[in-house]
Amino acid sequence: MLEQVLLNSVIRGSEIATLAIGVTILFSLLRFANFAHGEFALVGAYVTYFFVSVLGLNVWVAAALGAVLGGFVALLSDVVVFRRLRVSPGVVLLIASLGLSIFLRAVIAAIWGVEGHNYSDDLEQIYRIGDAIITHTQLVIIVVSVAAMAGFYVLLNRTQLGRAMRAMSDNMDLAKARGINVEVTIRWIWFIVGSYAALGGTLIAMDTQLWPDMGVHIILVVFAATVLGGIGNVYGAVIGSFMIGLLENASLAINWAFIATPFGYDGSLYIPTGYKSAVSFAVLILVMLFFPKGIMKGSSGDQ
Amino acid sequence: MIELGLYFSALIAIYAIMALALNLQYGVGGLLNFGLVAFFAIGAYASANFSIAGMPILLSMVLATVIAAIAGALIAIPTMRLSIHYWAIVTISISELIRVISTNEEWLTGGTFGMPNIPQPFAELVPVSAYSSFFAVFAFLFLIGSYWIANSVAESPFGRVMKIIREDEDFGRSLGKDVSRFKLKVMALGAGMVGLAGALYAHLTTYISPQAFEPIVTFIIWAAVILGGKGNLKGSILGAFIMIALFNSTRFLGDYLDINAVTIANVRLALIGLLIMLTVLLRPDGILPERKKEF
Repeated sequence: MLEQVLLNSVIRGSEIATLAIGVTILFSLLRFANFAHGEFALVGAYVTYFFVSVLGLNVWVAAALGAVLGGFVALLSDVVVFRRLRVSPGVVLLIASLGLSIFLRAVIAAIWGVEGHNYSDDLEQIYRIGDAIITHTQLVIIVVSVAAMAGFYVLLNRTQLGRAMRAMSDNMDLAKARGINVEVTIRWIWFIVGSYAALGGTLIAMDTQLWPDMGVHIILVVFAATVLGGIGNVYGAVIGSFMIGLLENASLAINWAFIATPFGYDGSLYIPTGYKSAVSFAVLILVMLFFPKGIMKGSSGDQ
Repeated sequence: MIELGLYFSALIAIYAIMALALNLQYGVGGLLNFGLVAFFAIGAYASANFSIAGMPILLSMVLATVIAAIAGALIAIPTMRLSIHYWAIVTISISELIRVISTNEEWLTGGTFGMPNIPQPFAELVPVSAYSSFFAVFAFLFLIGSYWIANSVAESPFGRVMKIIREDEDFGRSLGKDVSRFKLKVMALGAGMVGLAGALYAHLTTYISPQAFEPIVTFIIWAAVILGGKGNLKGSILGAFIMIALFNSTRFLGDYLDINAVTIANVRLALIGLLIMLTVLLRPDGILPERKKEF
């Protein structure tokens, strides 16, 4: 039981983290919470589906292509929408991203319909780790996501682009004065976070199912993870993602009767599964109340 | 067809009340309430429950308004110090939390099946043939009342302080104003108005379910306020009219074109998303910009 909860938490955390990294970076650089990030995931997942179902490609090749195309969608959204709003207050960007999110989701749903899809109907190889069960796909999800995060670490710490990103998030004006080409760097960032989100979308769809509301459902969870880790803090976002994954799975597995027992309650007390999706909202609200700046140090979000 | 037109008129009045409330919160007060639909749901479920339990309908609508306003204040108290982005995320999460609760707590909301047979006001006095017209007028009376209240608040010294806080919170503080208190009041007032709209909605449709309280309701009202012009109350009514017209006019396309309903519904949503982006990019102050007074 415990092993299974931990394993499910790791899977869920790796999925969330691929999106949370991007949300937190966009916030630290452009000062807004990007509502459209869930739709970048959606676009990636559906592009992957297109390549698998229509062209018959291997699902991982398709996932890579989906990630690249997701990156281009994010880049395009910057060129068409967000670039024109660089000097606007964060509120305006937030609302624009909301419009983009509604638009992208509706376009996807208009093309592919609202029913769910799967990449493959085959039965899967199952592995046992102790008492826990993991499917082959889930194992690969963890590997791919961890590799992606390691790649991001290298990008952030070992490359010129990563240095420019860190400098800009520290102090935009100073970075400009130092001769960093801010606009080019921002475009690269859109591409990278977009492709990470698209990859994350494919991973989520592999684990569960592909449907148009996936983006809307994941984005609030991602926000919760980002806020938990301190918004603007990349490492915090990763840790926050795994914490949300753990809280979602553990809170349902725990028998909460121990709270009620002192009051004479006799029996078991579980949170109904219908409330699973509410866990991240509840966590988010509680974190905001007690740690308004996140558990790790992030930027305050003030303009 | 006329029946449907009257139904949409009532719906426009309901959305316009919500747009006025959001404009008071966001346009005048600078509060990014992304959880409007939570208060819409609270108002709708409260009034539905009270009236089904046998309470006079007008009284249950008043109670629903008060409960929504209290909910607004309760949410505002602990979260008021958060910066705007955090606040936007928290409010939308609260609205989703409310929707999850309404899906799960069948004793209170009927769960996913919803609550049918919600009684309609003055149904025994007004003849059935004239009821749609009556309800449209009924809803518009509430819209006029809401406009009057919103306008009086926006033009009052209270509204002026809110605008100061909107422009520069620290400046408001330096004038000795209790910023949190002002935000709390405007939050409660707006939530109450949205709750009233929810109650009207429940009695208009006579059936409510969690599906009616998806975040898209919040987004449509945001689109209405931004399109109409933030800070301009007349603009919000115009915006609500445009959004409802746009959202429902394409409904009949399916009768003439061979496209399935799902595609049409999504094309319509795509248009709304596009409209929000275009407004922000091309006409950031909306169709009717706020008239700023020179002092």
